[in-house]
Amino acid sequence: MGSMTLYVEKNSLIHHLDPLVKLLYVAASIALTYILPEPLFIAGVLFITFLLLVVGKVFRNSLPIVALSMVLIFSLVIVQGFFHPDNATELFAIGPVVFYEEGLTVALGLVLRVLVMVGAFSVLILTTRPDEMVERLIKKGMSPKIGHVILSVLQLIPQMRATMGKITDAQRSRGMETEGKLLVRIKAFFPLIGPVVLNSLNETKERSIALEMRGFDAPGKKTFLNEEKIYPYNKQFAGMLVIIILLAIVWRVIG
Amino acid sequence: MSKNKRSMWSVKLSTAAIVLIPAAIGINYLGKLFASLLRLPLWLDSIGTVLASMLAGPIIGAASGIINNIIFGITADPISTVYAITSGAIGLTVGIMAHKGWISSIQKAVVVGLVTGVVAAIVSTPLNMIFWGGQTGNIWGDAFYTFLISTNSPQWLASFGDSIVVDVPDKVVTVLISYFIFKGLPNSLTNIYRQDSEIEEI
Repeated sequence: MGSMTLYVEKNSLIHHLDPLVKLLYVAASIALTYILPEPLFIAGVLFITFLLLVVGKVFRNSLPIVALSMVLIFSLVIVQGFFHPDNATELFAIGPVVFYEEGLTVALGLVLRVLVMVGAFSVLILTTRPDEMVERLIKKGMSPKIGHVILSVLQLIPQMRATMGKITDAQRSRGMETEGKLLVRIKAFFPLIGPVVLNSLNETKERSIALEMRGFDAPGKKTFLNEEKIYPYNKQFAGMLVIIILLAIVWRVIG
Repeated sequence: MSKNKRSMWSVKLSTAAIVLIPAAIGINYLGKLFASLLRLPLWLDSIGTVLASMLAGPIIGAASGIINNIIFGITADPISTVYAITSGAIGLTVGIMAHKGWISSIQKAVVVGLVTGVVAAIVSTPLNMIFWGGQTGNIWGDAFYTFLISTNSPQWLASFGDSIVVDVPDKVVTVLISYFIFKGLPNSLTNIYRQDSEIEEI
């Protein structure tokens, strides 16, 4: 039963940062690529993001996440490079296929922005335990019920994945075909998804009774099991990010 | 017997309805997993959201959709976070139409699927324009985008075409699958999520 999260347990400076500061970094780095949309500048943000991944000792773990967005990146380069409406200057040609300078410049900006987005999220999700992040958010005023929903998904999905294995085996042993023509495969979808859905809906019934018995709906202030962790230089980091954004906006307005 | 029927927009949610959200997200995940296991040409990754909307109304449906994409954003695929708004709109659309009685027959369910697909495309288009210059990263959709651009269509139209080619078939099939599952559920199960159920007092 695999775990749902990509969190990598390591001891680094980034791991000890407040999850909220990392969340702010994600928002700030993406916002920066829109405030100052020059490729050189976005490349700078990307460099800092990669630097943070290296400092957090998770650079290698981030590569599979980046690889996930490769289809999008290829598609951006090819489509914008060939077909961007402003295409005029021919850059180079491979056989009959011509790449244009304007389209490729647009594509470069877009690709860098996708990489910043994926990279910044990687910094957050590879170095932060989800329960730590949810707890911080609840302390900052998020509804504990939403917190419960998020954390129970992370527990539920590995369980459901195990159930799925059982159901696939059970249906195959009853002679269900999962290979072959499209129609055969479509037919197989129902006996697979049906039992899982029924099973999980039935479980919600029991779960909600169990929760009600423990006062889930009870009014009043909720307390926390874990003591609040003290994060070093919390305010300074957050302040720095806000100042950088403000500077970028000023730069954009003046420049 | 109380006559004031609670509307579908009731924000006070029962525990059963809240617990439905993680289950819906799990079902979304499994739908996607089974679809790729059987190599089906669709995503089928919003069956849970649609089902939750049918069972508990638009608020829970939208919440399932939004939380679904945020969770996948922070655990597996950051790009999916962008489409949280789309998923929320899907939940909202299905929830409202289901409440208005549009899931009483297969024909009506197909209409719900079509409307949901178009809504999903309308909501996705500005997101695609802002984040990736109008494309979606889906091979079929992007091929259609390229075709539209090469016929000198404006970029927003090409981008809308890109989304609609991908979203409409997927959402029609998703709503139909959810409809069949929903109709097969026993009443003892469907009753516990409803926000508008009347409780008779003795």
